[in-house]
Amino acid sequence: KMVPLEQLHLSHVLQAVSALESIVLRSFGPEGGQVLFTRDTGQVMVSRSGKRILTALHLDHPLARMVVRCVWKHSTITGDGSKTFVLLLASLLRIIHATATKDPHMFQPHNSTEASEAATARHLADRLLEFALTELDKLIVLNVLPHGFRVSLENFTAKTQHDLSCQTLLVSFFRTRLGYAYCDFFRNLFCELLSHWKVKDDRPSFSMQFLNNSFLALHTQVSGVPVSCSRLIEGQVIHRDFATPCPQVRKQPLKGDVLELRCGDKVTEDRGIVHFSSWTEKSVESIIATLQSFGVSVLLCALKQSSAVLAAATQAGMCLVECVSEEEISLFTQLSGVTPISDCRRIHPEHIATLTFCKPLLLGAHRRISSIVIYCTTFCLVICAPSEGQADQHACAFQDAFRMLLTALEPVRKTQTALEETIPSKKCTSLHADNKCVTETGCVISAGGTFEFLLHHALHQYGHSCSVSVNLLEKALLSVPRQIYSHNLKHFLQAQTRVVALIPKQPHALSANFIHTEGPLGDGKLLDLGLESVSCKYQLVLAVLQCLTNLLRINMVLRTHAVLHTESHDSLNAHSESSEGEDED
Amino acid sequence: MHIASYLSSLMQMSRLVKKSPSVCTDLPLNSSDVCNKLRLMKELLKSSYGPTARLKQVHNNIGGAVVTTSTSSVLLQAISSSHPIVSLIKGSILNHVSRFSDCGLFASVFCLSLIEEAGRCDLSKNVIIRVNKHLLSLCTAHLQQEDCGCKVQLDFCSSQSLITLARSVISSKPTCVLSEPESAHISRLAVQAFLLTVPCNIPDKVRLGRTVTIPMEGHSVLESAVFPGLLLDTPENISLGNLCSPLRMVLFSASLAGDLSELGDGRIEVHQGVDTDSQIVDQLLELGKQVLKDEVKLFVCQKVIHPVLQHYLRCNGVIVIERLGISLMEPLIQLTGAQPVATLHTTVPWEAYGEVHVSVRPFGSKTKLHLHPAGKTTICTMILCHRNETMLSELKLVCQKTEHVLRLTLREPCALLGGGCTETHLAAYVRHQSKNDVSESSPVLGCSQTEYLLAAEAFCRSLESVATSLEHDDGASLIDLTHAHHWTLPSDATEEHLEDAAALCGCGVVQSCQNKKWSYLNTEYAEFSPEPLLTASPLQPTVLDSFTAKVNALEVAVETANLVLDVRYVIQDVN
Repeated sequence: KMVPLEQLHLSHVLQAVSALESIVLRSFGPEGGQVLFTRDTGQVMVSRSGKRILTALHLDHPLARMVVRCVWKHSTITGDGSKTFVLLLASLLRIIHATATKDPHMFQPHNSTEASEAATARHLADRLLEFALTELDKLIVLNVLPHGFRVSLENFTAKTQHDLSCQTLLVSFFRTRLGYAYCDFFRNLFCELLSHWKVKDDRPSFSMQFLNNSFLALHTQVSGVPVSCSRLIEGQVIHRDFATPCPQVRKQPLKGDVLELRCGDKVTEDRGIVHFSSWTEKSVESIIATLQSFGVSVLLCALKQSSAVLAAATQAGMCLVECVSEEEISLFTQLSGVTPISDCRRIHPEHIATLTFCKPLLLGAHRRISSIVIYCTTFCLVICAPSEGQADQHACAFQDAFRMLLTALEPVRKTQTALEETIPSKKCTSLHADNKCVTETGCVISAGGTFEFLLHHALHQYGHSCSVSVNLLEKALLSVPRQIYSHNLKHFLQAQTRVVALIPKQPHALSANFIHTEGPLGDGKLLDLGLESVSCKYQLVLAVLQCLTNLLRINMVLRTHAVLHTESHDSLNAHSESSEGEDED
Repeated sequence: MHIASYLSSLMQMSRLVKKSPSVCTDLPLNSSDVCNKLRLMKELLKSSYGPTARLKQVHNNIGGAVVTTSTSSVLLQAISSSHPIVSLIKGSILNHVSRFSDCGLFASVFCLSLIEEAGRCDLSKNVIIRVNKHLLSLCTAHLQQEDCGCKVQLDFCSSQSLITLARSVISSKPTCVLSEPESAHISRLAVQAFLLTVPCNIPDKVRLGRTVTIPMEGHSVLESAVFPGLLLDTPENISLGNLCSPLRMVLFSASLAGDLSELGDGRIEVHQGVDTDSQIVDQLLELGKQVLKDEVKLFVCQKVIHPVLQHYLRCNGVIVIERLGISLMEPLIQLTGAQPVATLHTTVPWEAYGEVHVSVRPFGSKTKLHLHPAGKTTICTMILCHRNETMLSELKLVCQKTEHVLRLTLREPCALLGGGCTETHLAAYVRHQSKNDVSESSPVLGCSQTEYLLAAEAFCRSLESVATSLEHDDGASLIDLTHAHHWTLPSDATEEHLEDAAALCGCGVVQSCQNKKWSYLNTEYAEFSPEPLLTASPLQPTVLDSFTAKVNALEVAVETANLVLDVRYVIQDVN
């Protein structure tokens, strides 16, 4: 039996991406709002994050799923830009489609119009990617960076209100994610968390990387209370109740980390069952006695413990927390430097840490008491919201803020030298710029389309000497600010004029001529658009072009029928999307 | 339009079984279907609000028990979410109720009114959200002030205000069907039970005790009572004649039924001919002997006790209680100081023994064993009586809520005026303040002065509509233009006769007099600053609301409404 073949045309691709764009647009820009979801389980979820919206869609179309996968990958790394991704991609596809249908035999004559359209489109996309990989970073360094300015991690934690740029960067980020109501509140919370975790380390992003990695164990979501109750609390929160009564002792309890408490295999002798159970009881007691000899008073266990163990611990005055999650154990071991006990018969001092205090904590609507265990200056985050969906949204935004900042602190020209060796530029005349451009880290620029306007202008100048493909990107870029100002075209033109007017000055020093799009625009309306990271934007353009090239290389979808039990675990791969690139050249 | 239909063809579940595509709604608050659903929900909850509420009967299509209620937690759970927006609001309110036990209906009616009013005024949703947020902080800041006109400091020296608070909670649940003296009795009992659970000698950390509630059907409500200590079911007719108080007691948490303990994964090999049952019984009797030697007179086990051991202990004059259940373990440990024994093979340690006074209390047809300690205790038992099961279960629920509300006063020792007066007062305050700060606030919020005033008016009307919801008998709701308290006018009276028809305002603090001016709540009136009450007011408020719960409800309502207003697109998985 033949596998059903499905020819893919450029218009199909465009249609699929436009459909995704129509959803994402609802939450894009300053007038965007939330998208509300229900799962088939009845769970309600709200989000403004493009990544979450797209992944929640359960798409069946292989092309749409491919796009979503690309968006997911991009925003998992950078934490930002998922909506702009779809927008830019759709816009590029639309322009390429228009170009290809207008002039299908631009590059090679083909027998069918559709085939030659596809070939043209593919060719354009390849050229664009090649350009972006070789020239884009230089263009950005020369034309965009001079209008931005630098932020560094030190600024985030600084108590002074002197430099507001990093604060503004965070506010703009939280505004796109959580709306106007809470952006300032979460900015303050974020800075507070960061300043508490500041490690005296030579690598500034080290603590941020750490927070990002252990965010799951570091935050607690609480529902039923207003958002303004979100706060930092001292210590590490273990999301389990005490299994035995909490100690009244405050000072210096010690702690062992028991991962498994189990009795070895032992065959009973002829005295029978009573003897066996008394033996197991004794072995539990001896373990507790060993722990007691070390002065242990708090015990964290990864597994559920039997009632006999609990009773023995209670009698020994030890407080025991069972079923502690793997993430929390791992965070605890990282913070305290202890190793978990794997064999109960061998307990050593390196399994035991000193705590400052340990107390029960009442959080949330469902009487979830958590024990709080402190080690030096640890701080945990409590995120509150009236509903679970909202708390989850805030937590996601918080984690993405870490990712966004980490990307923002990366230099724009990181891969420059490596690329120049592997992909030599061909037709396009290389920029006669000095190759000793400084690699700037943490460069930010005012939001509201400034990056797009500047790059558009730079491409326009550059494109005179180059091929048609660069013009496509140049046109497509403007679609982003056009959507930002979609409610008022006048504002779009005003913003563009304002940005372009500043370009000829070509300032050489950073932060000398920072473009403000803030301030009253039009009829007295304040459009404070904040800041965004140049590095995130650069990576976004690259990722979009890569996704575009991948999309246009596909010419056919084969729908095969997979055998049930060989099904892959990855849900996105569930229906085998056996689509591959075939080179016709 | 074709995009939307194309989208549904794109959307399929990534499962093996093809599922129906998700339903998408663009701009849900503009759709009349969604608005109708929200209005229906509001009408339903509104009619269940307050002491004269109309009750709702909840029954499912498969013949489950019929529940009669006006409680928000039961009602909201019964509303099956036909739309994601409804379930979003429902979820937020239920979360609030599970944490604060009170003001659930206030929060839901307020939230739904805010959404409805926002739809009515032709403003950008972003403006409304920002103004709502600003006015909310205005309200909470006002409520936290010392001299706030709708706040009452609770006086712990007299139980009067606590009883008023308890009574407001109890009388707001008409399903209990209580007469005036009955609700007064229950309110007194609730406060008595609450005070018993507060420890007298306070160490560095206050730990509240527990009230164990025992429902008893078929007795008069006035027979309900509160006892310090615990009341347990007696196993059979026992006489305490020759037992001298206090008794030594022991408490087992391990099963004494002769089953194998659950510890360890070891392999057990049993030789043929070995009688394991008799070995275990022997072991249990060993335990019994030791306990007798240590002069234990009361033997309690959480789980089942083997009949042989029971018989042996009883023959030796020990009171045996089995199957206590996990819920009574913690109060009993606190009461007696006995550490529960979880192991059977080691000798019972000395800490496992506790001391307790025991007496027998006949209660109706049943006899209860009353355990009370020698000293002070924070454990008490409340016996609740009512005529039938439905009313009794609602009464039990209400008493638990009351206990929770009373406990909240320990954190913040104040209450808010009830009867709709807090709402009208806040509305008048916000209206006055927003007029005053319009020139400073509107540029900060990024909107014009007119927009700001329109959004503020919508906020105030929503607050007032909550006060109006208290009236269900076609009466009119009014506000007085001096103190901004809430008044209701029966349907058969006219405004001229207000002084005679309504002698007191909703909360009972303000008396009507000749020169007072009133305005109907749904009409416009000139803004004014509510005057504070004279401190020497002879009247005590008759209706009080929990401060902590109401402030939280206010915040939850506004935040939920803001979230709903911000929703632009709905994707609904209909599988």
